[in-house]
Amino acid sequence: MTDWRSEARLPDERIAAGRAYADGKVVPATRAVALLEAVLRPGDRVCLEGDNQKQADCLARALAACDPGKVHDLHMVQSGIVLPEHLDVFETGIARRLDYSYSGPQGGRIARMLYGGQIALGAVHTYLELFARYFMDLTPNVALIAGVSADREGNLYTGPNTEDTPTVVEATAFKNGVVIAQVNEIVERVPRVDIPGDRIDFVVAADKPFYVEPLFTRDPAAMTETQVLMAMMAIKGIYAEYGIRRLNHGIGFGTAAIELLLPTYGERLGLKGRIATHWALNPHPTLIPAIEAGWVQQVHCFGSEVGMDRYIRERPDVFFTGRDGSLRSNRAFCQTAGLYACDLFIGSTLQIDLAGHSSTVTRDRVAGFGGAPNMGSDPHGRRHPSDTWMKAGHEAQGVGDPMLMRGRKLVVQLVETFGDKLVPTFVERLDALELARKTGLELAPVMIYGDDVTHIVTEEGIANLLLCRDADEREQAIRGVAGYTEIGRGRDRAKVEELRARGIVRRPEDLGIEPLDADRALLAAKSIKDLVHWSGGLYEPPAKFRNW
Amino acid sequence: MAAPMAAGTDPRALSWYEATARQRVAALADPGTFHEFLPPTERRMSPHLPLFDLPRAFDDGIVVGRARLDGKPVLVAAQEGRFMGGAFGEVHGAKLIGLLRAARDLRPAAVLILFDTGGVRLQEANAGETAIAEAMRAIAELRAAGVPVIGLIGGRAGAYGGGGLIAGACSRLAVSEGGRISVSGPEVIETNQGAEEFDSRDRALVWRTMGGKHRRLIGGADAFAADTVAAFRAAALDLIGRAPAFDLATLEAEQARLEARIARFGDCRDATEIWARMGVNDPDAVPAMTTASFDETVARVAEAHHDAR
Repeated sequence: MTDWRSEARLPDERIAAGRAYADGKVVPATRAVALLEAVLRPGDRVCLEGDNQKQADCLARALAACDPGKVHDLHMVQSGIVLPEHLDVFETGIARRLDYSYSGPQGGRIARMLYGGQIALGAVHTYLELFARYFMDLTPNVALIAGVSADREGNLYTGPNTEDTPTVVEATAFKNGVVIAQVNEIVERVPRVDIPGDRIDFVVAADKPFYVEPLFTRDPAAMTETQVLMAMMAIKGIYAEYGIRRLNHGIGFGTAAIELLLPTYGERLGLKGRIATHWALNPHPTLIPAIEAGWVQQVHCFGSEVGMDRYIRERPDVFFTGRDGSLRSNRAFCQTAGLYACDLFIGSTLQIDLAGHSSTVTRDRVAGFGGAPNMGSDPHGRRHPSDTWMKAGHEAQGVGDPMLMRGRKLVVQLVETFGDKLVPTFVERLDALELARKTGLELAPVMIYGDDVTHIVTEEGIANLLLCRDADEREQAIRGVAGYTEIGRGRDRAKVEELRARGIVRRPEDLGIEPLDADRALLAAKSIKDLVHWSGGLYEPPAKFRNW
Repeated sequence: MAAPMAAGTDPRALSWYEATARQRVAALADPGTFHEFLPPTERRMSPHLPLFDLPRAFDDGIVVGRARLDGKPVLVAAQEGRFMGGAFGEVHGAKLIGLLRAARDLRPAAVLILFDTGGVRLQEANAGETAIAEAMRAIAELRAAGVPVIGLIGGRAGAYGGGGLIAGACSRLAVSEGGRISVSGPEVIETNQGAEEFDSRDRALVWRTMGGKHRRLIGGADAFAADTVAAFRAAALDLIGRAPAFDLATLEAEQARLEARIARFGDCRDATEIWARMGVNDPDAVPAMTTASFDETVARVAEAHHDAR
């Protein structure tokens, strides 16, 4: 007889072992290590919740403090490698295999550990791709998650930073897994039930509130006039021409400058209501002026942003909020919106090669992908038309029956020709290739593939890759906006002028933009304090962003 | 593109924090009255920076000249914080000292120093340090001769290092919220004493310790200006009118003021404790206060008003 319940009995055994350290479902932080040692088995697949924003840090510390004699060889399947503990567990042998998505601040250390062979790496994923694998071949046995509060039944309030939690719990709780949540406080009644209590097996009362990184705050005081110029070109040369209403922005200063130019420069161009109305976006503080000026109809968020909670509460017509008033974010749904329902992704990168491939990997840092490739790719499963998508599709196709045409999502790279410390952005060969060779990866970690990129915007101009008809034209279009980098200086001048005549390469003057007009005075807010004023005092910036 | 794309139409509405040194001087002075000494066309540049393969500025990061302020003749020096953080090098310092010495003969109604500096330029440390000392001596001589020296502080770089020392030698100081006055900068303190002593990335801490509001409340600065050229102009005119005499009585009063200050607040761990002890009702609300309500708070604080300096 086949035993159809051998796996299904496992959670009961694990939960029974863990109950020894719990009062009902509730476990004090001091007993978190003992709880994990009781519940975890060697070789388990474990999701330790953490992404580019919130962290189940109390549980991360507890896991790192487990006895490697009892808990070892875990297979970590998690969005973010962000905290030191996320890598400590690989040094002690508690964990061995890793499948993940994002590793911003630990990028240097993870690269060294990969070179050193301390981590058996499965793959680096995009968020949505990793979430998808939670439901196929990377389903967690145990999930360690974070919430704001819980009642004694385990009903969980995840608060504005819901992020990955519903996805992780869905995959674990419904496939014989055990879910352990850390919460900032145990309450009589949660403000709203984000996760029903019957999916939560243990609730750990954390010693301090879970950490959230203010990753999406860009200080307007640090924006340069070059960034203002590039933002003007993007608005006039792309947003206005394609009539982009549904979009996602990356986290760089260039896109933040676009947000701050909407109520000023965008207003003067008469674009209000015609562009940038629907967003898949975290609550960027730099979007406040555009919201207050009536540009933005709605915003769905992957997560929240430190200091924005009160503002969001007072703008429920714009943001997705619960009956309790606070933001409801959801990374999986917002990534899906970014993939299928946005007509434009625009973001920055560290390196672009002559085919338009881009990467944020350098020789000694593996930053991972996060969600950018989900937004920054053309989804072949899309079927609904929009004017923007159709126009881009026509430009890409050139010939053939229009009724059988695919549209195209616009994927725009907004980069200065030289990045930080005057390192050229345009390169012959991505560092990602060298890294893949050294670490034995089968695939080089490419953030956005060249065939998904439709436009590159630099301070020198806009290259429209949709209109290029062969690889040589693409290369010259890219060289044509690469400024004084080696790549830019290697251009075929006659060919670039020909591309310019065809509107494939466009300079600021071709767009009717005078570079001397690119003044910081155009920014709707020039400082974090200006953003506070725009918000009517509702935005409460963290101390590291305040100069008052 | 239409002409008024860039700045607003009224130059005096310009943000002091955002403006360049030349924009500040041009908008501060009576229209058309500023005449620059050793302008960029003279190309008096640093002789040292090429040794370090560093770019130079034609004015070495400082604008000096004469102008009129509400009809009165003044001499003006303005540091350009965007060039090497407004730091003092040999030529930069010599231009300021030359201006201060010229004032002894020209006897203007005042000398205005528009600080925007991180201190001495590391690449020209000896010349820079000498310039700080010579500038302080020149200010003392000038004040003794009856010419007030007014410092205006509201630029991105603040008035740090030797700039903070020179500011301390001035007759009167005006500061805006964004302006900072100190000697050792936040990063220097953190490097020497640790992040527990002073976390340089906690910008709110930096500003409530060194920023304009704190300096005004403890009497380190004598006027608080909104972040516009117009507000700094009004503050400068006001301060010229009430510059203290530079005599033994003033110096003794200053010594007494500083001794009383350290006795009263020396054990405080945070600026908010000082404000509370001064009788500010809601110290935590001070950083977010508007200029108008902050002015009201200042009016009620005794330490903010004194004749010393």
